[in-house]
Amino acid sequence: MKNNIIILGGGQAGIYAAREIRQNDSKLNIKILSEENLLPYERPPLSKDFLLDKKKEEDLYFHSSDVLKNENIEFENISINKVDFENKKLFAKNDNVYSYDSLLISTGSENKKLTLDNNLKNDIYYLRNLEEAKKIKEIVSNKNKITIIGGGFIGLEIASSLSQLQKKVIVIEIGNQLMGRIIPKQIADLVQNTHIEHGNEIILNKQIEKITKKNGDYEILLNDNSLIETDFIIAGIGSTPTVKLFENTNLKLDNGIVTNQFCETSIKDVYAAGDVSNFYHPFYERNMRLESYQHAQNHGICAGKNIAGVKTEYTSIPWMWSDQFNLNLQLTGICNDYDEIIERGNDINNGVIYFFLKNKIIRGACGLGIAGKIGRDIRITSKLSEKNTIVDKQILSDQNLKLNKLIQK
Amino acid sequence: MSEENWIEVGSTDSIEEEDLIRFDHQDKTFCVYKLTDGFYATDGICTHEAVHLEDGLVMDDEIECPMHQGIFNIKSGEALSPPACEDLKTYPVKVDNDKIFIKIN
Repeated sequence: MKNNIIILGGGQAGIYAAREIRQNDSKLNIKILSEENLLPYERPPLSKDFLLDKKKEEDLYFHSSDVLKNENIEFENISINKVDFENKKLFAKNDNVYSYDSLLISTGSENKKLTLDNNLKNDIYYLRNLEEAKKIKEIVSNKNKITIIGGGFIGLEIASSLSQLQKKVIVIEIGNQLMGRIIPKQIADLVQNTHIEHGNEIILNKQIEKITKKNGDYEILLNDNSLIETDFIIAGIGSTPTVKLFENTNLKLDNGIVTNQFCETSIKDVYAAGDVSNFYHPFYERNMRLESYQHAQNHGICAGKNIAGVKTEYTSIPWMWSDQFNLNLQLTGICNDYDEIIERGNDINNGVIYFFLKNKIIRGACGLGIAGKIGRDIRITSKLSEKNTIVDKQILSDQNLKLNKLIQK
Repeated sequence: MSEENWIEVGSTDSIEEEDLIRFDHQDKTFCVYKLTDGFYATDGICTHEAVHLEDGLVMDDEIECPMHQGIFNIKSGEALSPPACEDLKTYPVKVDNDKIFIKIN
């Protein structure tokens, strides 16, 4: 008889799992243990509307404490430092012990840090949680020339926000394109142009040799011997799954916690969901680890169903977005496994989408447009991809032909 | 009910089934939908962030925001899926002589 469910990690996957468990079972005891002393909140606005002061802290919370109370979901701010999977116990730093019948690990991911001299460790800022966003927001108000290390989503979103706050922004990226881990070059180049048009400087293909503190400001030496003077540095150089707690246990780890399509880990009654999970995706027939809003939510819900005894496969087609300046970038499916590319549109005012096909079937699509312009077609693409629909290339490439009809019954 | 509150949107064949059009009136903007059982209207701007729903996907009775995939029920305006959490305002619609009217207060 399972009675006690513990959810380790109070982020988006955790709260969605908790509410899903409750929806399926009114009796189970559900407790979320969170290292952050905040109710689960949305992270996407931190780098955008929160920095721009368009959203306040109170706008970020998924649910009020009343919702958790009404659904009888306990939320405790505690830091766990040991796990005993054999005896199903978690040990907290303050000597509290928590026993579980089923455990969901939703510890998320954490920022990679630059390897630097120790005396510079506190000088480089990172953005993942609300506390860090608050600090950055406060400090940048007195800074003018800001350097972002890393041309990924978070770095570029911050660069976009700071530019809108009239700051001079320099982005240094080690790769030969922006957002190179998952975004196709065609789209990345369009994003780059937009940053440049707004006055941001983008430096590609450069490594940082040294950062030197000078009269409260900094000098960044690049590997081509060029020198950048800056008064504030933010780094966004990727993330790693938060698994330190499990490193000396039997839990199978490989770029996160390895799970099957039911969110089950290698240990019975232990589940994982969200950023921390390297899950098997039955549609793509391979494991993947995703860091996105939609995934954290849907994977949490799927884990919740499975924990409550409703056996459910996770089959969501990946989807993510990034908002920079007035542009909305979206990606669905996978865009790195294809034998043909089809372009739809060539003007970001109306939206530009690249479809990635393999054996005539759409595997993924990535688009960029003024807010909202590509959303419908990207969504339709997810649905077409999910059903392995073979689509007329003429329809895909002609923006005057609507895609709606392709998915109507 | 005073007649002057009903504003003409256009002809019934101006919207395809399971689709929508944008309708602007004075300083407000709306979405008018044609579903299998009739016409409906909501506010045009998503309650999550300022983006027009005219580019969103209509599926059954739902409209999905084109920017962040928040979902609303078109008939009730209820926010069904995050990041949308605030309901969308809905408006009465009537059809008269193949013309669509919405009632704006």
